[in-house]
Amino acid sequence: MANEVSKPKRRFNILSIFRRKERVSADAGERNNWKAWLYLAPTIILMAVFTFYPLINTIVIAFLKNYDYISQVHEGFTMENFGVVLGLVGRSEMMNADGIYESIFRWNCTRFESDGVVGIYLNSEGVVSRAYFTMNVIRYAFPNTLLITFITVPLSIIIALLISIGLNSIPAFKKFFQTIFFIPYVTNAIAVGMVFAVLFDYKGILNYLLGLGTLTWIDQAAPAWRGMIALCVYIIWHSLPFKILIFLSGLQNIDKQYYDAAKIDCAGKMKTMLNVTVPLLSPQILYIMITSFIGSFKEYTSVVGLFGQQGTSPGSYNMYTVVYYIYDMVNSNVQYGAAAAVLLFLVIMLFTAIQFKVSKTRVHY
Amino acid sequence: MEIRIKNLTKVFPGNPKKGIPDTRAVDDLNILVPDGELVGLLGPSGCGKSTTLYMIAGLLEPSDGEIWFGDEDVTDLEPEKRGIGLVFQNYALYPHMTVYKNVAFPLTNLRIQEPVLDENGNPVLDVDGNPEIKKRKLTKDEIDKIVRETSKIVQIEQYLERKPNQLSGGQQQRVAIARALVKKPKVLLLDEPLSNLDARLRLQTREEIRHIQQSTGITTVFVTHDQEEAMSISDKIVVMKLGVKQQEGVPQDVYNNPCNKFVANFLGTPPINLFAGRIQGGKVYIGEDCVREITPEEMEQAKAEGRNLSDQDVTVGIRPEGIVIDDNAKPNFHFKVDRILTMGRDIMLMSDQEFRLSDTKFVIDAFTKVSVGEVQAQVKPHKCLVFSLEEGEPRLV
Ligand SMILES: Nc1ncnc2c1ncn2[C@@H]1O[C@H](COP(=O)(O)OP(=O)(O)OP(=O)(O)O)[C@@H](O)[C@H]1O
Ligand SMILES: [Mg+2]
Repeated sequence: MANEVSKPKRRFNILSIFRRKERVSADAGERNNWKAWLYLAPTIILMAVFTFYPLINTIVIAFLKNYDYISQVHEGFTMENFGVVLGLVGRSEMMNADGIYESIFRWNCTRFESDGVVGIYLNSEGVVSRAYFTMNVIRYAFPNTLLITFITVPLSIIIALLISIGLNSIPAFKKFFQTIFFIPYVTNAIAVGMVFAVLFDYKGILNYLLGLGTLTWIDQAAPAWRGMIALCVYIIWHSLPFKILIFLSGLQNIDKQYYDAAKIDCAGKMKTMLNVTVPLLSPQILYIMITSFIGSFKEYTSVVGLFGQQGTSPGSYNMYTVVYYIYDMVNSNVQYGAAAAVLLFLVIMLFTAIQFKVSKTRVHY
Repeated sequence: MEIRIKNLTKVFPGNPKKGIPDTRAVDDLNILVPDGELVGLLGPSGCGKSTTLYMIAGLLEPSDGEIWFGDEDVTDLEPEKRGIGLVFQNYALYPHMTVYKNVAFPLTNLRIQEPVLDENGNPVLDVDGNPEIKKRKLTKDEIDKIVRETSKIVQIEQYLERKPNQLSGGQQQRVAIARALVKKPKVLLLDEPLSNLDARLRLQTREEIRHIQQSTGITTVFVTHDQEEAMSISDKIVVMKLGVKQQEGVPQDVYNNPCNKFVANFLGTPPINLFAGRIQGGKVYIGEDCVREITPEEMEQAKAEGRNLSDQDVTVGIRPEGIVIDDNAKPNFHFKVDRILTMGRDIMLMSDQEFRLSDTKFVIDAFTKVSVGEVQAQVKPHKCLVFSLEEGEPRLV
C-alpha cells in the first residue's frame, strides 16, 4: 500500500519540464510516456536525419553568401540570395589588382533572360568587368507555377468529382472503371510524360485525330500557351486517379438515406448533387484541394516528362517552374535554390492558411 | 386520397453462390388505407414494415403487385411525383444543413400552380376559356412563413439555427416530422417516428401527430412495432409477420378477436397468458379446471369455417385482464400467486401456474382482496381464446 502511495512522486519525464501548469493528460498516459517515445523513436530518428536536418539546413543555406556546397565555405550571412531569386539583384564581377574577379551585387539591376555571362566590358578606369545574370523565378518559373496551379487544381477537382459521381452511380462496371481510372496513378510520371510527348508531337496522334496538320504543342519552339495547354492536360490526367480514389471512398460513405430523403423532398439530380453530395463530400474536397495546391506548386516531373527541358525549345525557359528552378540551382548555386525553396514554402503556407480560413464555414465534418 | 395496395411483394435477391437465400420481405400484401385515415402498420422487427412503406414511397421497387393512390396507379411512378411526406426510421436529416434549411429544403423544390392574373387582378383565360395556369417557385418570404408555422406545431422553433447533430434524438425526430409536413403532402408515411422519444414526449407527439393528421385529413401510414402506440393512434391497424399480413381491422376488434396466436400474443401489454389445455366435450380445460364452454353458436360458426373443435390438446390464452376474483363469481380456474405488484389503480399477480407456456401475469382491480398463495378465479369467456397447437393456424375459438 505504502508503495502505491509513493509512486506518483517518482514519476518524471522530460516533457514535464515544458508542461508548466497544465496537467491535463491522464495519469495512465503519463506513466506510459517513455514507452510511447520508444515506439516513436525509429520514426523520429529517421525524420530528424531526413526531414528536420535538411529543412533547417536549407533555411540556413538560404542566408549564406557565396556558399560553396562542396567545400562548405561561405562569406557570411546575407539577404542577397532572395534578391537574386526574385530578380532584384544582379551580379557583376570585377577584376581586382591581382587579376582575380570579385563578385559585386547590385540591387535594382536590369533583368536578363538567360543564365551566365552576358557581357564583358572595360570601365572608364580600364578595369575589365563582366556582368552576370543568374536565372530568377519572376520571369517564368513563378508565373508558370501560379498558372498551372490555378488551372489544374480547380479543373482536376471538378473533373474528378464528376467522374466519381458518375462511377458511383453505375453499379455494373464500377470495379472495372475504378481500375481503369486508377492506372495513371501507378504509372511512372516520366514514362507517361514520354507517351504524352508522342501524343502531342507536331507529327503526333493528337494533331492527326483533330486534323490540325502539324501544329506544334511541346516542341519546335511552340508558343508558350500551347505548351501550357499540353502541360495542364497532362497534369490533370495524371492527378485524376488519386482524387477519384478519395472522392469515391467519400461517396461510398455517404448514407443512401440522404439521397432517399432528397427524392422524397423532390430535389432534382443537379440540386441533389449541389445540396447533398458536395456538402457531404466537403471534407474530402478540402483535403484534395489543399494537397493538390501543394502538389501543383511543386510541379516539376511533369515538365521534365513532357518537354525534357525547361521550355518548348532548347535554351527556352517558357515552361519553367519554381521547383525546376530549385533543382537547377542545386547544381550551380545551391544557396539560390535554398532561398527559392524557403520562398516557396512561405507561399504554400500562405495559400494553405487562406484555404483553411475560407473553408472553415463551408466544410461539414 | 385513398391508398390501395394490391398483392404487393418484395423479394430481396439472395446470392445462390454463397448460399444466401432470397428474402421475401413483403409477401402478397393487400391493404386499403381509406382517404384521410391513419393506418397503423404493426409487427415485430424485420417483418417488412419499412419495406412496405418504402414501396409506397417509391424508394423501393416492388417485385410484384400494385400501389394505387386514388384512381392513379403509382407503382412505377418516381417518388418525386408521388407527393408524399416520409419520416425515416433514423430521420435522415441533412447533417450539413441547419434545422431551418432542413425544413425549408422540400419547399425550395416545390412548384406551385397559380392562375395568371391581368393588371386588374382578373384571371387571364386561354383560347378554350379556361384560366391560364402558371407554375412558379415559392418566394423566400412564403417559405419562411411556412417553415415557422410548421416548426411551431412540432415545437422546434428555438432550434432552427442548430445543426441536427446538436439536437437530441427526440428533437431530431420532430424536425424530421416537420420536414415531412411542410409541403402539405397528400400522403404521409411515418416509419417508427416516436421510437426515440421519452414516454411523456412520445404520448404528446403521438397526440400531436393524430391531431395534425385529423385536422389536415392527410392519409397516413404509421409504422411501429409498439402495439400500444398503434392501437391508440390508428383508425385501423394491420398486423404483419414475416412479410405476411396477419390481420387488418379496427384496433379494438383485432385485440378482441385476434385471428391467430401470433396476433393475440403480439397485441396487449402485458401479453396474453398462454397455457397448455385441451378441448373435451365442447369444454375447454386447463388441467382439471374447465375455464370456458364453447357455445352452440361458436360450434356452428367453426363448422361453417371448417375449424375442428373436436376433442384435442390446445393452447389456451387468457388475457391479463381476463379474470375476476370475487366471492359472488363462481370460480373455474385456480392458480398459485407468487408475487403481487401494486401499480396504482391495478394490481398484477404473477404466477408459476403449472400449465403455463409463458410468464403468467394477471391484472385485477386494486381493491380486490388477494394474497400470495392459492387463488380461485373466474375466467371471463370473451377474454379466453383457444388456439390449435399448430403454429400459424387460425384461432379455434
Ligand atoms: N436491402 C435489403 N437487402 C436484403 N434484405 C433486406 C433489405 N432490406 C431489408 N431486408 C430484409 O427484409 C426484411 C424486412 O425488413 P424491414 O426493414 O422492412 O423490417 P421492419 O419491419 O421495418 O423492421 P424494424 O422494425 O426493425 O425496422 C428483413 O428480414 C430484412 O433483413
Ligand atoms: Mg423498419
